[in-house]
Amino acid sequence: MQLLIEAIGFGIASGAVIALGAVGFSVQFGMSNVLNITYGSLMTLGAYIGLVLTDRGVNVWISLAIAGVVVGAVSVGFHRWLLAPLVRRGTRAFAIVIVTVSAGVVLQYVIVAFAGPDAKSYGEQSGQTFYLLGVVLTASQVAIIVLAAVLMLGLHLLLTRTTLGRAMRATASNRVLAQSCGIATDRISDIAWMLSGMLCGAAGVALAITTVSFDFTLGPIFLIPMIAAAVLGGIGQPYGAMLGGLVVGIASELAAAYTNPAYREVVAFGILVVMLLVRPNGLFGAAWATRRLMA
Amino acid sequence: MGGWEYYLIVLLVYLGTDLLAAWGLNLEFGVTGVANLAYIVTIAAGAYTYAICTLGPPAATGNFQQYVGGFYLPFPVAVLAGVLAGAVVGILIGLTGLKRLRQDYQAIAMLVVSLMAATVVMADTPFLNGNAGLGLIPAPFSDQDPEIQRWLYVGIVAVACVVGYLLLRRFTTGPIGRTLRAVRDDEYAAAAIGKDIVVLRLVVQAAGGALGGASGALLAAFIGGWSPGAWAYVETLALLTAVIVGGMGSDRGVSIGTFVIAILVLQGVQFLPQISFRIGLREDLGWIVLGTVTILFIWFRPQGILPERRPKYGGSS
Repeated sequence: MQLLIEAIGFGIASGAVIALGAVGFSVQFGMSNVLNITYGSLMTLGAYIGLVLTDRGVNVWISLAIAGVVVGAVSVGFHRWLLAPLVRRGTRAFAIVIVTVSAGVVLQYVIVAFAGPDAKSYGEQSGQTFYLLGVVLTASQVAIIVLAAVLMLGLHLLLTRTTLGRAMRATASNRVLAQSCGIATDRISDIAWMLSGMLCGAAGVALAITTVSFDFTLGPIFLIPMIAAAVLGGIGQPYGAMLGGLVVGIASELAAAYTNPAYREVVAFGILVVMLLVRPNGLFGAAWATRRLMA
Repeated sequence: MGGWEYYLIVLLVYLGTDLLAAWGLNLEFGVTGVANLAYIVTIAAGAYTYAICTLGPPAATGNFQQYVGGFYLPFPVAVLAGVLAGAVVGILIGLTGLKRLRQDYQAIAMLVVSLMAATVVMADTPFLNGNAGLGLIPAPFSDQDPEIQRWLYVGIVAVACVVGYLLLRRFTTGPIGRTLRAVRDDEYAAAAIGKDIVVLRLVVQAAGGALGGASGALLAAFIGGWSPGAWAYVETLALLTAVIVGGMGSDRGVSIGTFVIAILVLQGVQFLPQISFRIGLREDLGWIVLGTVTILFIWFRPQGILPERRPKYGGSS
């Protein structure tokens, strides 16, 4: 029983990080209909920017914010100058996936070339621990859960309560129609990629904080649980991705607790493949939101 | 035997095995349109199968490495077993590609299959010796003088390439080739005129997987070892780059692409001056160049160096 509770506790902690990343991934996908595999390496980039800053004595949470902004900017450039032109020319979907996989590999090895292949760490975080319902969580884990919740709430309010959010949703659901209503869809795309890149960078730093040590494979390893969460909740749908993050996080920790810890990732892999093959619209499918993403 | 002669042999064996693999991938990806990002798993299946078929039972070498089975089969039989394993794995991978998914979803599903296979093999040590991989895999003609043995091996790889190319041409030319291209270009139209898409796809997956299995078996026998590091998902990217650079769907184009990528680029970076003291920097550079080349080709010349020749049909259009 204790094992179960602990697994669920850790699951929520890792689920919060997964959700951060998955929501960003979902926003990108909803806006541009591109499966961006480079996202994983951008997360790694965020973690290494965080490392450079914390090494220079910057507070870890400020580093998280800075890494978010930098990765957001990189992400906008990546979309505007590489992906969007390819999509406009009518490059086939799998060619675009190959471009994003290649760009991810390039970025990953550029990071290795500069930072080296050995494991890195942000060093000891504050030692305080919290006991919640029999689960021991470190202060930074709790902070990340809170941060994730706040960012999710913020995104929710942005999407539902502001003109910008409405313009984003309009662009995501029908670009041409949105354009003819006077929405500057290119600028809205840029903003969406900025936001999702920020979530990506923040998730990278958050992940580096929660895992004791990390190396250049951080993002690519974590990408699959994130895509699994995004697909589980219905790809392109931020709320689904939040829930998906929790489900994937808890399921992975349960698998790690009751079987071989190495199977932690396999659970996420399995969820993703099964979902893609059986319910590519997400668990809740069309009932959850307007279905516009499936070709 | 001089160092350069040995290097030449290594290059020839690599080129031969890479050609087999690139042809197989081109058959699946270029000719039939299945974006198989898990292709490297068929190569791994061939390599592991060859290893198990030649190493003998684990107890014979004092259990220093663990694996299932273990036989002393002669070289040709073991390679054939590898080919067969590649074909079976190819079909299994192909099953995930049957569902009418968006192409990009399919590609991701296959990528995940590749990652999952690697994770399971690494986690489950008794299966195929986990992360450490298998070593001491016997090569043929080990009773010969090493120099003669190596050149004989180059001959075997060459023969395998000829056989592989003949098999490939069976699929890419003539009626079957035209049918497969029709499936790639318009699946529904092909189905409407009575082509059995499912069977066609699985046959191609089997053929592509068989080529991959042959490549893996021959490579493992030459290197003498095989571990998860040798079949990371990025290795599929190297083959995919060869296909894209050479020209998707074009047999000769892909052969040129394989030479350019596997020999000129990936070996070329080895000759760069030592930039820093860190070992492995040049390999990193290889991947950076490879990814960049892929992107540049998709951007500037998606049809590749030697594009597939579009057949011209008579009649008005």
